[in-house]
Amino acid sequence: MKIIMDGKEVAAERGQTIVEVARRNGVYIPTLCHVPALEPAAMCRVCTVELVEGRRTRLVTSCNYPLRGDAEIRTDTPMLRQNRKVLIELLASRCPDAEALKELAERYGADLNRFPAEDRQCIMCGLCARVCERVGGNVLALCGRGVEIRVDTSFGRLSPTCIGCASCVQICPVNAIRIEDMDGERRVIVRGKEASRVQLRKCTSCGIHFGPVIDLGPVLDRAGEGGVPAFNASVCPACSRRSLARRLAERHFEQHAVESPDADEEG
Amino acid sequence: MATAISTAPDLAWTKKISSPQELASFRQAILASLDPNAPRIRVCCGTGCKAVGSLDVLEAMKTAVAAAGVDVHVMPEVKRTGCHGFCSRGPLLTLEPQGLFYQRVKSEDTAEIVQKTIIGGEVIPRFLYKPPGSKEAIAKVSDIPFFAKQTKLVLKRVGRIDPFDIRDAIAAGAYEGIAKVLAEMTPQQVIEEIKVSRLRGRGGAGFPTGVKWESCAGQAGRHYVICNGDEGDPGAFMDASVMEGDPHAVLEGMAIAAYAMGSDRGFLYVRMEYPLAVQTLTAAIRQAEDLGLLGQNILGTDFSFRVSVSTGAGAFVCGESSALMSSLEGKVGRPRAKYIRSTEKGFRDSPSNLNNVETYANVPEIILRGGQWYTTYGTERSTGTKVFSLTGNVHNVGLVEVPMGTSLKDIVFGIGGGVPNKKELKAVQTGGPSGGCIPIPSKFIDINVGFGKLAEIGSMMGSGGMIVMDENTCMVEISRYFINFLVEESCGQCTPCREGLTRMREILSRITQGEGREGDIELLEEIGQFTNNFSLCGLGTSAANPVLSTIRYFRDEYEAHIRDKKCPAGVCKPLYYYEIDSEKCTGCGVCRKRCPAAAIEGEKKKPHTIHQELCIKCMECYRNCKFDSIRIM
Ligand SMILES: Cc1cc2nc3c(=O)[nH]c(=O)nc-3n(C[C@H](O)[C@H](O)[C@H](O)COP(=O)(O)O)c2cc1C
Ligand code: SF4
Ligand code: FES
Repeated sequence: MKIIMDGKEVAAERGQTIVEVARRNGVYIPTLCHVPALEPAAMCRVCTVELVEGRRTRLVTSCNYPLRGDAEIRTDTPMLRQNRKVLIELLASRCPDAEALKELAERYGADLNRFPAEDRQCIMCGLCARVCERVGGNVLALCGRGVEIRVDTSFGRLSPTCIGCASCVQICPVNAIRIEDMDGERRVIVRGKEASRVQLRKCTSCGIHFGPVIDLGPVLDRAGEGGVPAFNASVCPACSRRSLARRLAERHFEQHAVESPDADEEG
Repeated sequence: MATAISTAPDLAWTKKISSPQELASFRQAILASLDPNAPRIRVCCGTGCKAVGSLDVLEAMKTAVAAAGVDVHVMPEVKRTGCHGFCSRGPLLTLEPQGLFYQRVKSEDTAEIVQKTIIGGEVIPRFLYKPPGSKEAIAKVSDIPFFAKQTKLVLKRVGRIDPFDIRDAIAAGAYEGIAKVLAEMTPQQVIEEIKVSRLRGRGGAGFPTGVKWESCAGQAGRHYVICNGDEGDPGAFMDASVMEGDPHAVLEGMAIAAYAMGSDRGFLYVRMEYPLAVQTLTAAIRQAEDLGLLGQNILGTDFSFRVSVSTGAGAFVCGESSALMSSLEGKVGRPRAKYIRSTEKGFRDSPSNLNNVETYANVPEIILRGGQWYTTYGTERSTGTKVFSLTGNVHNVGLVEVPMGTSLKDIVFGIGGGVPNKKELKAVQTGGPSGGCIPIPSKFIDINVGFGKLAEIGSMMGSGGMIVMDENTCMVEISRYFINFLVEESCGQCTPCREGLTRMREILSRITQGEGREGDIELLEEIGQFTNNFSLCGLGTSAANPVLSTIRYFRDEYEAHIRDKKCPAGVCKPLYYYEIDSEKCTGCGVCRKRCPAAAIEGEKKKPHTIHQELCIKCMECYRNCKFDSIRIM
């Protein structure tokens, strides 16, 4: 399989997406709705590139286009740059302060204030919904349609299935989701609106609240990680570290006690 | 709605037809029991005719026939709004075998019609149709230009058979195609025949049907045959009229497709707003299964094909192929970004063939008469006929089936009867909400309507919408209207369509409100090119067409709105006013009496004037002035 990217032949394996091939060969292609661990949804469209097919060129999104045969790809033509610029300008209106957009704006010469700001605090990359479906409690989803589309829980109610894993918080590129741990509860707050509440585990040793009261086993299985017993512990990580340290110290002391005569001699 | 006017037949007498050959004798038996010269009266029960009392006429006619003791079959004719293009002249009757066409019939008239026409064989002149501008009344359906100039391959049985009685359809030739296929053709031969016909999909994109079938047939796994009956274009009802008027044509087409691709399972995806289509299709499937024409061991062979009807939530975007399959799977009807054809991996990740209603409806006839025969209709690259939904400022609105390659002029003037009220024709919009506007007067009036030709001039075939626009149509407002529709229908998942169209709607709204700015046209073009290039599905990649095509052909009209703050067509209210031409005004007083805002003043026989501060721009004076003295300023 012969892949030409921006005029140079690059290394690629059959079935790899254009983005994978580009990353591997150090070619830059912008992405906003893609992380390698999740199934691509190709919603943001910023990764669109030109695929040369004979005399015609076709526009395809590189995050989900699988290369199956010889191909020639152009990743940074004036036409692509122009369209990416408009894309960033349009997105900026819904998320004026996003760092992710500022960087791209600089690269493509986009004017972040070209369209009136409508502070929606979300670029609609859908990553939170996809990660939640995959490793979380399948709480967040794209709801509504058209301009009204938004990330929300079903029927906009507090979700009963949230496991408080905070994957959504980690993955959101514009920090639109946060968690608040308070009064023994974890709240997941999506764009200022509470999406779920999960009870926190109380440490049997020191009494502070830590990880959510949830059996994460099935979720981790789904993610292919296998169960992690630490999640079901009844003591908080600090106390468990402390007790581990104590146990290590005790063992060391026991060994020491046995070996002490020789040590004395050496000393 | 349908049950009130349907006559569900008693099929208890039927048994399964056990071989393809037996279908022919079954058909002969039905034909023998029907006298082709037996009088029949069809009462149009389309929405338009029902609104003016056709159901009453239907009942009155039944009573009149019974009272006179004659043996006449009075049947409802279930068609869609505007079907004849004569809705304003309803209720309508057709009388067989003479082929007479009566219009504006009232319940009181039914006894007279039975006595004089049915028994006496006499034509009653006052019910006859006179084309606009003509003194000659036309008695026969076949002589009315609206019908005479059409070529009906897809609609041939629509309105002529009772969609709730399969015997009617069989008598008219339904299921002969599948019988032929099962008796004498291999799946490869079926595909070959479709390829020879060069049939292209009627759902919009015009993809060659035979090629699609071939690529689907070549895949491993269970195959699905799916029919797209979502028909979301506003004002379109071609697929509805086929599903409602001749459901067997679609079912037979699907069965033939299933045979060709080795499928045993099919789905008809019908929008929820079409309850009548769901009823006719469901009844048709049941009756066809009872007769062994669908379901297990069709016509006694080992070919089985089960098909069922699914209703969609009625979103325009659900007509898009991947969204439709998601919706069929019970998921959200949102297009999926996948670079894999559904013929390879579609419904339930299995090879699936999706075609439009009209595409399937073409299939049986192609099989019966051969692909070569089909190519005698239409042009080299666009064969066969196409059903258009002709609407807007044209005398006869309705469904029109013509060979591909018919000129716009023949459709709009020949069949449509031209523009009413002595107005100028300004543009023809084709292709549905994301089609384009073709400017007229121009050489384009002579273009041969086909897939390639329309695309060449910046419009498209789409599913066959055709809106005729007269001089009082504002092209900026038209593009705002379509963009608004598409913003409402966008699924919203991808950036270009969601953000781009919203911004375009905003810009167009401000232009029509007189707040357009210098640079707005260029901005519309810039965003429009972006949405066309970068969107995820066909909705987004074609959505800017109405804007881009009107800018291309009517740029001066945009400029007039933005620079001069004028709407030359007199549509955008803040951008025009009416003035009375004192030279032309005879002081007849019609406008003064008609004006609901009492804004017109003047003495009898002296030129009148309009008080601008009172005028609400309702157009009443403009429309009713016989002397053409009201001007748009
Ligand atoms: C937004 C959108 C809406 C569509 N709506 C319809 C529809 O209502 N009916 C239809 O047959 N095809 C519709 N299509 C086209 C289908 O995706 C598909 O191309 C078609 O059903 C294939 O059938 P054909 O090959 O017989 O044309 C739509 C496409 C898009 C992008
Ligand atoms: S183009 Fe529009 S309708 Fe299609 S996927 Fe994108 S947002 Fe949805
Ligand atoms: S990264 Fe490919 S579409 Fe968003």
